[in-house]
Amino acid sequence: MKKILSVTLTIVFIGILLFALSECPEFGNISNPANNYVSHRYIDQCVKDTGAINIITGIILDYRAFDTFGESIVLFAAAISVIVVLNKSREQV
Amino acid sequence: MKDEILREIGKFIIPFIQMFGIYVIFNGHLSPGGGFSGGTVLGVSLILHRLTEEPHRASTGISEKAVIGFMCFSLMLYGILKGYSFISGGGELGLLEIPLGTPGRILSGGMLLPLNIAVGVIVCFTIYTFYTLFDKGEI
Repeated sequence: MKKILSVTLTIVFIGILLFALSECPEFGNISNPANNYVSHRYIDQCVKDTGAINIITGIILDYRAFDTFGESIVLFAAAISVIVVLNKSREQV
Repeated sequence: MKDEILREIGKFIIPFIQMFGIYVIFNGHLSPGGGFSGGTVLGVSLILHRLTEEPHRASTGISEKAVIGFMCFSLMLYGILKGYSFISGGGELGLLEIPLGTPGRILSGGMLLPLNIAVGVIVCFTIYTFYTLFDKGEI
């Protein structure tokens, strides 16, 4: 019973996601938003939006700050796991 | 390490490396650079100290507790600052907005400077921790 339920739920979620995907713009189409005004907006409006002269910092720490947050979390998790696994002074305690 | 020349040159050059790292972090929104590259330079200066100094004096005074504390604090600072600017963005909720200042000054760009510092601290301690733990097995 549980197996049937889980398989049904999985199929339903896959169907929902695929349905949402069918509404997305076609990959590689010239008229997609990502191919048109996003990059122009970044280049034209960066100083006004973020106050940064260096456009790269403006993009990675303001427009896409959540991505940089994820990168910092990856570094943090790697360092903490190395401390836990390889620290010799911890074993003697 | 036993080499006298390396030790003396290391003593002379490490403050300049650290100053350059801090410069790269603090000018991240004005010139090429930022938290990732500046943090790498700072971490490398700590590693150089470990490499050139004599073993009994090589400790940088950074404990495991300090590493974990600094990294947790920086990560939470980043999350809180950026979360606040996500919520208050656009100014439709009437929350206090951080002024952007004059572009080109050090103290401008709203949250970019503290975010750069937070990322720099995380990268610096990650690199230092990796080196010390894979080499000697203790921080």
